[in-house]
Amino acid sequence: MFESVDDVVSRLSDQKYICSRQIATVVYLASQLRKPILVEGPAGVGKTELAKVVAGAMDCKLLRLQCYEGLDEAKALYEWEYAKQLLYTQILKDKISEVLEGAATLKEAVERIGRQDSVFFSERFILPRPLLQAISADHPLVLLIDEIDKSDSEFEAFLLEVLSDFQVSVPELGTIQAQQIPVVVLTSNNAREMSDALKRRCLHLFIDFPSQEQELEIVQLKVPGIAAQLANQVVEVVQSIRKLDLKKVPSISETLDWAKALTLLNVHRLEEAQVNETLNTILKYEGDVRKAEAELKEYISRQKAKVETSATSQEQDDKDLLH
Amino acid sequence: MDDKIVEFGHLLRENGLKVSVAENMDTFAALGLVGVYDKQLLKDTLRATFVKRQVDIPVYDELFDMFFTGLGEVIKAAAASTMQAMDMTEEEFQEFLEQLEDALQNMDQELSDLARALLTNNTGQLEKMLQEAAQQSNLQDIQRSFQEGQFANALAQMMGFGNIQQELQTLKDALQQAGLSPEQIEQLSQYIDQRLQDLAHMIRSYVRAELEKKDSELRDQQKMRSLADKSFYYLSEDEIRKMKEAVTKLAQRLKHIIAIRRKRAKRGRLDLQRTLRKNLQYGGVPFNIILDVKKKEKPQVVILCDVSDSVRNVSRFMLQFVYSVQDLYSKVRSFIFVADIGDVTKLFEDNDVHQAIDLALRGNFINIYAHSDFGRAFKTFHRDYLSIINKRTTVLVLGDARNNYNLPHDWVIRDLQQKAKQVIWLNPESRLTWGFGDSEMDRYAPYCDLVEECRNLNQLYRVIDHLVTA
Repeated sequence: MFESVDDVVSRLSDQKYICSRQIATVVYLASQLRKPILVEGPAGVGKTELAKVVAGAMDCKLLRLQCYEGLDEAKALYEWEYAKQLLYTQILKDKISEVLEGAATLKEAVERIGRQDSVFFSERFILPRPLLQAISADHPLVLLIDEIDKSDSEFEAFLLEVLSDFQVSVPELGTIQAQQIPVVVLTSNNAREMSDALKRRCLHLFIDFPSQEQELEIVQLKVPGIAAQLANQVVEVVQSIRKLDLKKVPSISETLDWAKALTLLNVHRLEEAQVNETLNTILKYEGDVRKAEAELKEYISRQKAKVETSATSQEQDDKDLLH
Repeated sequence: MDDKIVEFGHLLRENGLKVSVAENMDTFAALGLVGVYDKQLLKDTLRATFVKRQVDIPVYDELFDMFFTGLGEVIKAAAASTMQAMDMTEEEFQEFLEQLEDALQNMDQELSDLARALLTNNTGQLEKMLQEAAQQSNLQDIQRSFQEGQFANALAQMMGFGNIQQELQTLKDALQQAGLSPEQIEQLSQYIDQRLQDLAHMIRSYVRAELEKKDSELRDQQKMRSLADKSFYYLSEDEIRKMKEAVTKLAQRLKHIIAIRRKRAKRGRLDLQRTLRKNLQYGGVPFNIILDVKKKEKPQVVILCDVSDSVRNVSRFMLQFVYSVQDLYSKVRSFIFVADIGDVTKLFEDNDVHQAIDLALRGNFINIYAHSDFGRAFKTFHRDYLSIINKRTTVLVLGDARNNYNLPHDWVIRDLQQKAKQVIWLNPESRLTWGFGDSEMDRYAPYCDLVEECRNLNQLYRVIDHLVTA
């Protein structure tokens, strides 16, 4: 459990996650108020990562439920293991006929089988899915419901019930009450607007692309061997590319990929040739690449000019000294 | 502070955020944890509990700054201006205030609370009095900028501005007899005048800040909402741009709704035959259940858009809307006409929707400056394109049916109706004017399955909804 907002910041940074005060505040409130967090923001800003590092910082297990179109209760909550039940009845045929032995009428036979219902609908034959696992767990954990916007509205409605009461009812077993309330993180890429009812039950967190300083910090943390100058340039370039009108803007993970690729290639300063070769790590569409190339060319020539002027002034200084 | 938070929630609600009781309760629970003393923390906390949509974040930021730095800042700014006017540093000013307080205590003149608070620059006291006066004069009801003066006057009266003027005048007179040096008297009366001005200024700024709170987003919101009801004829340039956004949004919503409806319609009952066949391999024990899937065919649409001057805007939105939800149909063919008719389907295949519309309406395809002749356009369509109409096609005609007294050739529509699944006519004119003057609506109407007035976005939405579901 987190003690204060500052505590969140420091413990997340132990997990190599650099977060703003806004993020830390929401995480702190969620852990205290036991409310789910709904995280929204563009792809690749570390929404899913947030859940992982929170689990890491709280030193507990992470359960992940990936949403997709057509996800239903059976996949999210629980399922009866139909095949296993059938298999057991086949194997136990003899035993069953023993039970049925001497039953005079069909009615009596059904009666007798009925009395054995609980054998087949017991926890032995239930297949718990992430939601049920999260609720029935006896130790604290973090439940990540990823890309909730991809699921159907029906599933969202079903989720409401689980998230507000933290209990589920399995008709054959009764109601299962959560032993402890997990920290729930829902992420959404805004493919569709979530319902107001769901939003009301959550704390809302919007994560945007980080500022230049923050991104630089992240790059230096995640790509340890990177040259300071290169890190600076990479971040600067990515930040300026994000301002262009692109189909898909590069995210933090792409910045990191690029930085890693350049470090692998042993680059210390951005040069046009290498940039053009590696540009496909940050841009995923042909049109985007073309648009960005022009911008990059300008940036590199500007950088070069800067370096040259400083070099010539250096020379000038040297000459002055000689005189 | 509790009241203030509730009031802030109310303010957010007025500006279009969805703040319910649940949000308020969360907020109080959260504030119980983090307290209200750190402003940034307060801002982050309230943002987490009050704001639920990304689009609301800028509004929230603006309102928060406005709300929580309101009155205190105004009063402080007034004190600062006094300091400047009297040419004093902060320490000098403090010292001066202390002296003044002593002097006031020594004098036997009775001072009202307001005068005392004002002269000694008691920020807390002033704030409280301003707020009380604001409540009594119903300042929270202010709506429009022309009410600013009226509310400022009411507030001033409530604070007893007239009385204090008199009071300070007598105070100045009393100073003359208090046996102070002329410079001190000079300085003090300058100070008193200055403070009086400050008070007037405070009242005005307070009223303005209150008005801004109400004003900023509210109007934009109302505009957007009413845009959907506004007739296409009366749109300004700016509104056309906004309308594009609204159309996109609406189309998105429709798409979402339709997707759900389709899915629901698709899920059928148990298909016994196929279930048994599929499970033969398990000895007839039904491991896999098969439900029947209802097939629902997507509609094919042929659009005929009148693009003559009078209805061009409507055609623009019509085309945008239809193409924004293109994946809801299996096929769209679009034609534009004035007197000639032109096939613009390819334009929409090759270009982005907005570009295609601009290209289509530029006049390279047909002469868009001719006089409308529905009859001729229909006849040409009948001759050249009748073969594209089949039993699954919905024909959508958009036009005001103002034919300039040319031959209507309504038999074309009759033929179309016989061949097509349905013919829908959208008329951007008010229903009352149909059939008057050169309007041939009454001749065409009998051959249409549906004739709808389509004057604004909401009506357009209903028609498209009908189109994709029926």
